[in-house]
Amino acid sequence: MEFLAFAREHLPTILAALPVTLGMWVLAIIIGAGLGLLLATGRLYGGRITYALSTTYIEVFRGTPMLVQMFFIYLGLPEIGIVFDPFTAAVIAIGLNSAAYQAEYFRGAVRSIPQGQMAAARAIGMTRMQALRNVLLPQALRRVIPQWSNEAILELKYTSIAYAIGVSEMTSRAEQIGYKTFHFFEVFLLLAIVYVVLTGVVAQILHVIEQKTSIPGVNR
Amino acid sequence: MLLDVRDIHKAYKDVEVLKGVSLTLERSETKVIMGPSGTGKSTLLRCINRLTAPSSGEVYLDGTLIEERNINEMRQKIAFVFQDFNLFLHLNALDNVAMGPMRLKGLKRAQARERAMQELRRVGMQDHVESYPAQLSGGQQQRVSIARALAMKPEVILFDEPTSALDPELTGEVVSVMQNLASEGVTMLVVSHEIGFARRAADAIVFMEGGYVVEEGPPADIVSAPREVRTREFLQLIAAEGQVS
Repeated sequence: MEFLAFAREHLPTILAALPVTLGMWVLAIIIGAGLGLLLATGRLYGGRITYALSTTYIEVFRGTPMLVQMFFIYLGLPEIGIVFDPFTAAVIAIGLNSAAYQAEYFRGAVRSIPQGQMAAARAIGMTRMQALRNVLLPQALRRVIPQWSNEAILELKYTSIAYAIGVSEMTSRAEQIGYKTFHFFEVFLLLAIVYVVLTGVVAQILHVIEQKTSIPGVNR
Repeated sequence: MLLDVRDIHKAYKDVEVLKGVSLTLERSETKVIMGPSGTGKSTLLRCINRLTAPSSGEVYLDGTLIEERNINEMRQKIAFVFQDFNLFLHLNALDNVAMGPMRLKGLKRAQARERAMQELRRVGMQDHVESYPAQLSGGQQQRVSIARALAMKPEVILFDEPTSALDPELTGEVVSVMQNLASEGVTMLVVSHEIGFARRAADAIVFMEGGYVVEEGPPADIVSAPREVRTREFLQLIAAEGQVS
């Protein structure tokens, strides 16, 4: 009961930062998906240089901690004259990081499409890019949804790291409440519940999308 | 002469699969290529539309050399029907057939679907337009894939063993569709062991073995009186397997 009273009092403060958290998340996902698709295409169909560049990008971003990437962008880049505000830096960091993972999911999904699909598309006269857009991607994107759901949920949680560079998102609000009230147990429990509800909703939405877009007659 | 295949060679590493194959096809002609497996029949078809690049040799369609530079344009005129259909798995029958006209011929969606409907009717699949590939039998899928080929209004259709992935009871529907096309004057080059089809619909049988064309002639002659021993042996073999219909 005490917790409920606590929640009622402080939940609005945490939720006031929900737009910041969701904004970071949505923008990062868009950057990650767009760049991820490009990187995947580069690895799948690029020449030697494109392949090498895409592969290097992916290895570097998968091989370094998100926090280090965020610090590098927010604190490191200003030294060479590139300055971002905390929110933008966080969006860029999460987006660039996610692109590396999304690229691999996309690539795996495209590669899992039977070879004959590309052959059939080319045989009616499509270019490789037309085949990719009209035949392979529509199938690959459907296959990638389960992995992509995981990635989306990971990114949602990663937004909390932006706290470290001073973005006023939900986690930083919670911490402030903690220092003001000294009820750290309650406030972080409350915050955890908020995240669970959010990720649950996201997972559910993507699950529905997965089912709505499933191809009739094909069992996953 | 509509299709002129000149001295095609194809080697994979050290193995030469095609050792100089030449072949011509007149407009409205149907030729059936037969021969033991591993003889390069499918490779030959794939070399014609360059799904596989030949090591040397040329192919002309209506006098135009087919090369990498014009390949996408030429492929619109040379349809290809695959052994395992390769229908676009995420599209229903209607959209499988409408895809080409819409994306490559610049037809509006409604027009493309109208054309697709016509072609599906032509192969007897008008009652399954909403079905997805995974919901169709092999024979039905192959008929849709033939409609997909027809929808491009090609000059010639290449068939790569169109019935060999099918259960025996399903080959008939595909063969009869192909027979109709042949009698409508569609130009077809068919790799197939369906002797019944060859006898009824083909203008000539081309017998291949070991990367060469061994013998070519009217079906009646080839089937009843093959000149070459190897042709005779092969025909006896497939007759023994009960493929003669």
